Amino acid sequence: MPILLLFAVFVIATCGLIYELIAGTLASYLLGDSVTQFSTIIGVYLFSMGVGSYFSKFVEKELLAWFVKIEILVGLVGGTSSSILFLVFDKVASFRIILYFLIGLTGVLVGLEIPLLMRVLEKSKFEFKEIVSKVFTFDYIGALLASVLFPLLFVPYMGLIRTSFFFGVFNTIVALIVCYQFSDELKHKIALKISAWSVLVLLVIGFILSDKIMSWSESMAYQDKIIFAKSSHYQRIILTRNKRELKLFLNGNLQFSSTDEYRYHEALVHPGMASRQAIKNVLILGGGDGLAVRELLKYSQIQHITLVDLDTYMTDLFKKNPLLTSLNQGSLTNPKVKVINTDAFQWARNTNEQFDFVVIDFPDPSNFSVGKLYTNTFYREVCKLMSDEAVLVVQSTSPYVAPKSFWCVNKTLQSVGLLTQPYHCYVPSFGEWGYVLASKSAFHVAETYVPDLKFLTKDSFKQMAYFPKDMQSVQTETNKLNNQILVHYFEEEWGKVQ
Amino acid sequence: MGKGAMKNKLTRKTFLLRSLAGLGAFFGLSWGTKAILNPIKPTIKGRILGANHQIGHLLRNLSSPQKAEEKQSEEIIEVPILIVGTGIAGLSAARKLQKAGHKNFLLVDLEDHIGGNADAGKNATTAYPWAAHYLPIPNNEDKELLTFLEEQYIITGYNSAGLPIYNEYHLCQSPQERLFLKGRWQEGLIPNYGISESDRKQISDFLALMNQYRQAKGTDGRWAFDIPLALASKDEVYQQLDKISMTDFLSQHNLDSEYLLWYVNYCCRDDYGITSANTSAYAGIHYFAARRGKADNAESNAVLTWAEGNNFLAKALSTDFKDKIKTKTLVTQVNWNSDGVEATAYDWDKNVSVKIKAQRIILATPQFVNQRILPKESIQISTDLFQYAPWLVANITVNQIPIERDGFLCWDNVSYNSTSLGYISATHQQVSRDIDKWVLTYYLPLSHKSPVEARKDAIKKTHEEWTEDILTDLESFHPNIRETIEEINLKILGHGMIAPMIGFLSSENRKLASRNIDNRIFFAHSDLSGVSIFEESFYQGNRVADELLPYLSIS
Repeated sequence: MPILLLFAVFVIATCGLIYELIAGTLASYLLGDSVTQFSTIIGVYLFSMGVGSYFSKFVEKELLAWFVKIEILVGLVGGTSSSILFLVFDKVASFRIILYFLIGLTGVLVGLEIPLLMRVLEKSKFEFKEIVSKVFTFDYIGALLASVLFPLLFVPYMGLIRTSFFFGVFNTIVALIVCYQFSDELKHKIALKISAWSVLVLLVIGFILSDKIMSWSESMAYQDKIIFAKSSHYQRIILTRNKRELKLFLNGNLQFSSTDEYRYHEALVHPGMASRQAIKNVLILGGGDGLAVRELLKYSQIQHITLVDLDTYMTDLFKKNPLLTSLNQGSLTNPKVKVINTDAFQWARNTNEQFDFVVIDFPDPSNFSVGKLYTNTFYREVCKLMSDEAVLVVQSTSPYVAPKSFWCVNKTLQSVGLLTQPYHCYVPSFGEWGYVLASKSAFHVAETYVPDLKFLTKDSFKQMAYFPKDMQSVQTETNKLNNQILVHYFEEEWGKVQ
Repeated sequence: MGKGAMKNKLTRKTFLLRSLAGLGAFFGLSWGTKAILNPIKPTIKGRILGANHQIGHLLRNLSSPQKAEEKQSEEIIEVPILIVGTGIAGLSAARKLQKAGHKNFLLVDLEDHIGGNADAGKNATTAYPWAAHYLPIPNNEDKELLTFLEEQYIITGYNSAGLPIYNEYHLCQSPQERLFLKGRWQEGLIPNYGISESDRKQISDFLALMNQYRQAKGTDGRWAFDIPLALASKDEVYQQLDKISMTDFLSQHNLDSEYLLWYVNYCCRDDYGITSANTSAYAGIHYFAARRGKADNAESNAVLTWAEGNNFLAKALSTDFKDKIKTKTLVTQVNWNSDGVEATAYDWDKNVSVKIKAQRIILATPQFVNQRILPKESIQISTDLFQYAPWLVANITVNQIPIERDGFLCWDNVSYNSTSLGYISATHQQVSRDIDKWVLTYYLPLSHKSPVEARKDAIKKTHEEWTEDILTDLESFHPNIRETIEEINLKILGHGMIAPMIGFLSSENRKLASRNIDNRIFFAHSDLSGVSIFEESFYQGNRVADELLPYLSIS
């Protein structure tokens, strides 16, 4: 018996330290500032062990049964802790509370175990000094092993989730062995065995599915069923579906919902299109979903549409996936459309072609590399591609949530000598959304629109061009490559919302 | 009570043995698994490039008179003006001559490319610098430089207030600088995050003091500190600053904040390759107080930069005379008489000796080279006083941007605790998002020892040793960078730049060194200014061309 119980001490010590290290690593990884995370986690863990040790004196009878129960619980809590933390990180405001609760709980349980074991050993008529010496020796060897193996072996080759399950399994196996070895001495042994076996099965399944859990933790961020997920070189593309709608997310940001994207795309395309008569050659920068192209194809006078989108995965997906081609009406495979997969800035710099209408539908300026596509330098390159009569439209984030960002786009367009006409519309999935029309000569508000629109009319545009008090123009700087001020505005304004 | 408990009672010995065996098994398992998954520890690709010092040593050997005699002269070139060295000074001199209508000159360089310290490399992803990599927007009084920038469309025009409008592709893009301090990245290089109020106050006091110097003028009506340095005030009160070190200057002003001292030391190492304790206070202040650039579309501290660094400017300077440059040619000896100059050179590509007969020669080479190629008796100065700081530059190709939760790649990325100056991102100026590999240019001034010792140590180290040093440094702020590295190439710049040590700038020696010899041999190099920056090299080149022009019109 003692050898078995001492082995148990060894396993408990190893597992206990591993859970602590996992929590520390995970917290540093998710929250940053590793010094603080490790210090507070070690502190909380050790303190909780003290609490556990204190309460161990209240366990009077059935020491072995208590030991087994606690062991199963440690396996369950410790084993699933990292998965739980990964899964809840995005979802709860008070992630730290859950983190410290799990650490505290594991600490209390581990703290209970060692004193209990010592008492079990005491009953087997060992000398006290022998017990103390052996138990602590195994305890500290276990700790050493854990601290050496964790960074060298487990983190690099197993990852945090799998490591956590792995040690949970160990704890549970110890519980099971004790159950079977000391079957005679345990009451309710059937119940104990059943719970130990079920926890073991659960942990083994978790261990096998660790990779799935990692991606599941991402999928939990989406309300609906994910029907497509792929990382291209540039972004993570996710498509979700429920009974009512299809949604596209890029890097976790909603790009459109099939229920109301018509509002967004009608507002993007038609005010500019209808303001000029002789638009034949159109350029779209971004817009790899082909939905703006679908709107453009309602004009028979258009002869060529050039779409420049960085991401081949995106345009291929919207050329081939039947759900998506039914949404964009196969626009990307229309013979009038030429798709070029390259960087828009680079392309604009090296192109001599002239266009009558330019649609800019880039992702929001949430980072410095996209921010470049909203600078005066970029707009100057675009101006060179515009014929004298040409019109340009830019999707420019929400004037309600991010007024500085929106008006900064407007100001930057003006700074390169363009006349602008800002407007906005309500898209339920996005909220109030803004656009800026720009041209080298004065802009004419359209008198008529193509017939089969669901949203836009001559009257609705008048409202769209009107900015109520809470969205009115604010003073901003011009966005330039050497200040990237728009990214700062955007982060400041959207940071408050998210 | 378990079955057979007593049977299994451990003796101390077996207990220890079993524990050891257990540990052994675990370690064995650990290493075994590691070995299976990762059979060989990956060695990082790359090599030490540019055997500069080897060619340099060739010069040392060839320039002894007997050896030169042994070589049979096989090629003779006659040209009115010979310019030795295609660094910025040599190229600037040539540009000025060409602009003045004197087109009969030849430039030679021992390397297989032009640029000197404005050297660059290139891989499938991007060009990258091997040394100098930026130009701060210049003072608007430096008309010659502004004119050059206009010629190259780096300045696109002037606004109504007369301020230059810079081409925004060339202005350093945002975000520019970040500092890793106390476990996190902060914007800018001046320590700010998590430091005490008194540290902050000292930093702002220091910057205010530097601003006073920036605005100060001498009794001679000149700026106290200026670029080019030759135009600055000669007032004793400023010249005296050259007699003490930058560190002494700070302590005289009761400035002792750890963070301020770090920052000033960083700046000295960045611009001069030596520590603040070795930098003259005049030079140290010069770094902060000599720039008064203003622009229509940039902040006054803005810089111009390119993927290939200042090689962009070297190429721009040489636009109109590319055909007059002969590279891979090592000048070993220069002699002259009343009829003209004769340079003995060695073309190491064709392996032939070359005799170049010229009317006049511009030595756009550092003084330690001049000392080897000019007859001993003609050298009027003590060239030992010209000390050069050695550097290590590494270009590191990575397949992933080093991203931490709180950071994003900037142009200049520095860690407070690092011995290096950090790295710059060579792709920073690229507007395209279509990048899948990045090149980080890592700068390490070898300022921990005297230049001579540091140089010797540096040459002995292998690529593997350097790579390990660099990775240890980088991993202290980018823990996961190792696996993203595809290649590390290194260059050791044994004589990287002139070091403005205490007393050097105000020495007679430095001033004497730029005097021509018999109106035949002219000197142009930034070491004559004592500060190794583009503007000074450019100035030296122009100065020497101006000095030479009167003789040309006579002949």
